[in-house]
Amino acid sequence: MGSKRDHIFEIIRETSSLPTLPGVVTRLQALAENRKSTIEEMARLVSSDQILSARVLRLVNSPSYGFYRVSTISNALILLGVNVIKSLALSSSIFEIMEKTIVGLWEHSLGAGVAANIIARHLKLPEVEEISTAALLHDIGKVIIKEKCAEDYARICNMVERDGISMLEAERQVLETDHAEVGEWLVHNWYLPNKLSEPVACHHDVAGAQHHKMKTAVVHLADVLVKSSGFGFSGEVYVPRIQPTAWEWLGMTEDDLAAIVEELEDRLVEVKNFSLEIQSADEN
Amino acid sequence: MRTNLRIIAVTGPNGGDGSLELRLQSKGYQVVTLDNPPSVMGFIYSDPPDVVLIDLATPDQTILGIIRSLKDDFFFSTIPVIGMIPEWAAEGFDWEEYPLDDFVTIPLNYRDLFTRIVLSLRRLRRVFDNNPLTRLPGNTSIQRAIEHAVGKPMGVCYVDINHFKQYNDVYGFAHGDEVLRMLGRIIANSVKEAGDAFAGHIGGDDFVFIVPLEQAEAVSERIIANFTAVVSELFSEEEKVRGFYVAHDRKGNEEQVPLMGVAISIVPMNSPKIGHYAKVAEVAADLKKLAKSSHKSCYVMDRRK
Repeated sequence: MGSKRDHIFEIIRETSSLPTLPGVVTRLQALAENRKSTIEEMARLVSSDQILSARVLRLVNSPSYGFYRVSTISNALILLGVNVIKSLALSSSIFEIMEKTIVGLWEHSLGAGVAANIIARHLKLPEVEEISTAALLHDIGKVIIKEKCAEDYARICNMVERDGISMLEAERQVLETDHAEVGEWLVHNWYLPNKLSEPVACHHDVAGAQHHKMKTAVVHLADVLVKSSGFGFSGEVYVPRIQPTAWEWLGMTEDDLAAIVEELEDRLVEVKNFSLEIQSADEN
Repeated sequence: MRTNLRIIAVTGPNGGDGSLELRLQSKGYQVVTLDNPPSVMGFIYSDPPDVVLIDLATPDQTILGIIRSLKDDFFFSTIPVIGMIPEWAAEGFDWEEYPLDDFVTIPLNYRDLFTRIVLSLRRLRRVFDNNPLTRLPGNTSIQRAIEHAVGKPMGVCYVDINHFKQYNDVYGFAHGDEVLRMLGRIIANSVKEAGDAFAGHIGGDDFVFIVPLEQAEAVSERIIANFTAVVSELFSEEEKVRGFYVAHDRKGNEEQVPLMGVAISIVPMNSPKIGHYAKVAEVAADLKKLAKSSHKSCYVMDRRK
């Protein structure tokens, strides 16, 4: 009998699909049908959903195509082509039922992607799109846990609320692992490049990052900022501290932070509208 | 022939009785049965099988769509698609409508089925002159496509990569091959959107595509833009800012090599001087020198009368 941790790893290896927001799928189909729509429009839509993004990246990095390190959604779409994306959107495995908590997590991830983009641009870092993608994917481990170990996920949420501990701590007690590690496993198993997996793995332990320190620090900060803004719901009631290592690596002043927060507040209003629009697409 | 073939069996919504799966597994094949046709393409795209079996007892538009999508995509067209057709229906079957590679009759004779699976794999390997690296059609198909376009308002476009050899030397063959696969995919995707079109791989970093002449420039621009975007991911930030990387020539001298781009020469097929196939390559060779004279990506159209 293997440990719970081994069991989850087994689940990840067998996971080829995860639920995505049906509204995104509907809109993607509409874009794919329209001959005039551009790769950029499709990329923007795909990037609004952490699971669809992960699927697209998994596909383009899968051994059958023979590409080894595609890390942006727009390049993935260029290489896969419209037909493949259309089929991906249509394939029924991604039509699944959504619950309130997933909408919260989806908004949180989307918000983190936006925040990471603002931070990276503000600090004039290279590879802004990769950083946003990594931030978009940072909590994908939670989706796995919620979808594939629903009972454990409920227990974890209870513990977070009842005992006032962090989600990470509750996950470790129940599962002997946490969403950061689970996320890293998934990202590895889906052949996504290292520059995406390390920020996912280390977004709660910035000092643990070896190769992509800046990306990891940005994803960490983005996560904290979105949590503190109250936008979306990551499953976590408390806002963690910004880790000193991240602060140090980013070399930011408090003025930088103030400017970033201000821009973020504005953008999150837009994101909220977008989110409502996506959700209402299901009802039409 | 490998015994651990991966097979997808597409059945109707009622599914099969499971015996097909069992018999194939007993041969050591890995089988996935999909009974929800709309999800099939997503499945195949994300994890391409070696062979596809399709139940055609009650064919419909979705099933037909699956066969067409497979056969229309150069990347997947090398996967044999075998139809399972009721004995009484086989003779009158519309093979034009259903571009299958082979068929077996229902009720299934399993020994027959096993043989057809192996045979269709061998035959496809024999018949296709596709480039093994990019899976794009090779020279026989290219020549046929060009001959077909002569005299028509079509553009035959030759593509090659600037400074590909140096990239290969510096970063290694595996990465060079990746670039070729990327360009092949980009050309095929861009061309597909142009409707009546063809894409082929001559070999090395030489590609050909054929599109209606009025679209040749737009398609060339798209290929250049997409290649530039994708290739930027292969170089480090530092190299991108500098715009070159360092290589060594045969004498060991240091050389600054610009980042890769593509050069495209467009030869209009309705020009009076294009009488036959050989002339096309000649005009293209001339144009290529022009396109190559700038080290950046660009296309050149032959407008000389």
